[in-house]
Amino acid sequence: MVVGALLLAVFFAVLFIFQVRKGEIAVVTTFGKATRFEGPGAHFKLPWPFQDVYKFDQRIHSLESKFEQVQTADGYNLLVMTYIGWNIEDPRSFYITIGSSISKAEETLESLLRNAYSGVIGRHNLSDLITSDPTKSKFTQIEEEILAKLRSDLQSSTNNYGIAVKFLGIKKLGLPESVTEAVFERMRSERQVLVSKIQSEGERQASEIRSSADTESAKILAEADAQALRIRSLGELEAAKTYAEFKQEPELANFLLSLDALESFLKEKTVLFLDTQTAPLNLMKNPLSSTNTLGLTNFIFKNNLRTP
Amino acid sequence: MNPDQIKQRADKNQMPENRPAEKETSRADDASIQALSEALRSSFVIVKIVMVILVLAFLGSGFFTVRTMEKAIILRFGKPVSEDERALLGPGAHFAFPKPIDEVVKIPLGEVQTIRTDTGWYYTTPTMEASGKEPPPGKTLSPERDGYLMTGDGGIVHVRGVLKYRIAEPGLRYTLDFDSATNHIRNALDNALLYASLKSSIDITRDTTVFRELALQRLNQLIEKQQLGIIVEQLAVQVIPPRQVKADFDRVLEAEVKRSTAINEARQYENEVINRAKAEAVARINAAEADKKALVEMVSEDVRRFQSLLPEYKKNPQLFRELRFAETLRRIYTNSIDKIVIQEREDGKPREFRVLLNRAPETTTPSQPTQKSGEHKH
Repeated sequence: MVVGALLLAVFFAVLFIFQVRKGEIAVVTTFGKATRFEGPGAHFKLPWPFQDVYKFDQRIHSLESKFEQVQTADGYNLLVMTYIGWNIEDPRSFYITIGSSISKAEETLESLLRNAYSGVIGRHNLSDLITSDPTKSKFTQIEEEILAKLRSDLQSSTNNYGIAVKFLGIKKLGLPESVTEAVFERMRSERQVLVSKIQSEGERQASEIRSSADTESAKILAEADAQALRIRSLGELEAAKTYAEFKQEPELANFLLSLDALESFLKEKTVLFLDTQTAPLNLMKNPLSSTNTLGLTNFIFKNNLRTP
Repeated sequence: MNPDQIKQRADKNQMPENRPAEKETSRADDASIQALSEALRSSFVIVKIVMVILVLAFLGSGFFTVRTMEKAIILRFGKPVSEDERALLGPGAHFAFPKPIDEVVKIPLGEVQTIRTDTGWYYTTPTMEASGKEPPPGKTLSPERDGYLMTGDGGIVHVRGVLKYRIAEPGLRYTLDFDSATNHIRNALDNALLYASLKSSIDITRDTTVFRELALQRLNQLIEKQQLGIIVEQLAVQVIPPRQVKADFDRVLEAEVKRSTAINEARQYENEVINRAKAEAVARINAAEADKKALVEMVSEDVRRFQSLLPEYKKNPQLFRELRFAETLRRIYTNSIDKIVIQEREDGKPREFRVLLNRAPETTTPSQPTQKSGEHKH
């Protein structure tokens, strides 16, 4: 008995109760006419053929358009792929205009999307998308324009699809295949220009460094020479101060210095030609002369073989 | 079996003996009915037990565990038990009624998930790439096969992105509000990479830092705007020039290497030259110092000698001079290599002689005495 009652309960539950999962919305139709909407939870319905239930996935779906060629305002061909996130906002309109098929909705969306982006990009120049000045890029603006166009197409008074587009973006941009070759050619020549620029730059920098090094070293040496000169003159000054001592007896000083000069002058590799009048050789001639004075020889010849 | 049952059975067995008047056939029927009802009764007990077990199993199947770094939410008849975020079940064991009453949705909050995009990459497959058998680059890039991105300066680059992300708390939107959250995230990632490349120049093939920052910034904006409910852990990008022009890009690198080599060499030269100059400068200054010292010392030596000789000189200047002179001459004569003494002519006239000076010093070595170069005439 208990089991029978339980089975009966289950049977009736299946007939009269339906579940709507989170993220879904259900349209209950009575004899084919949409009569009520139910959100997540368990709900009551009359069994077929009185009432029927269609469930719609209300989650956000992603949809990518085809990668298709469009023309910019200035006549360039560009391949564009966009994506959107969309969901069923108004199940009644959706049911009326599209029915219960998601793929049919996608078809509709795709054609509307293509219409929207080709229209918007057709109003912009290529430089609005591809520009070396990032501040002039209208990338996000174009996306917004496409989104606005798509939304207005979806909610026009004649055709309300009950679809909401949550977001839209450009997924891919491309060039016609033949153009890519031309781009490669340009990239190549750009690289070559860069190579020669780098080479000449390197040479210039290197020679700059070398010449500045030469200048610097010359400067260092010149400074050293100046300092050496200063040091030497300081030495001479000091020497001059010391020489002041000689003032006591200049004659003696003169004599001593002359002797030194003579001696160092005749120190090496000297050939002396002496005549017999020269002291002390005069003794050889006139040994007893008392008036013999010391005098320097007639000839002093210094032969310096080591010419510098 | 308890004693009562045993007794009952014993009674039943005794029954036919207690009623001997009854026929054998009816007695046999009776026994079979008895056996049948007994069998029914016992099988009913078994069914009961099985049913209890089934019910227990049915209820017991409702237990589930939530692992660490995971959360779960129960949908009762398809509807979340509470919209409150606190209704999320944390790690541990929990109970939910079995289907179709409850559905448990687990949210892997802590798990780092990865999404890769090859939208901007040329046509290849992971196996081709691993085996090094990538399709060779053609002259052009086909829009159907090859992906690429365009840079703001009109160049073409290939870009690959790997996004690592976690689901942001509470994770309900990520799990329940999208048909496939990963598709939306991949689209956002593609859009961010495209956006960033259009705002960059071809130089991103060299340094992706700025490009990556731009893409990341854009991606975070999109995540916020589209409420994707994720947190970016890491975005890695790989940017390469098209293989068709790779050689040209390599030449630039080569030129740069050469440039830095040239500059390094120049720097080395600079170092050498300046160090040498510095050393030379020190040497020159030192030489000057030495000269100065020598000069001063020499002078002071002279002065010292002068002062020591001064008293003696003052006693008799004439004698002093002659003595000193003679002394010096002796030293000179001793040191000089050749001495040629010329006799005075008898007639008292001066002698005339010529000295041929050495015109070519290299023919005469320093050790050769001067005499050889000299010729005397009498």
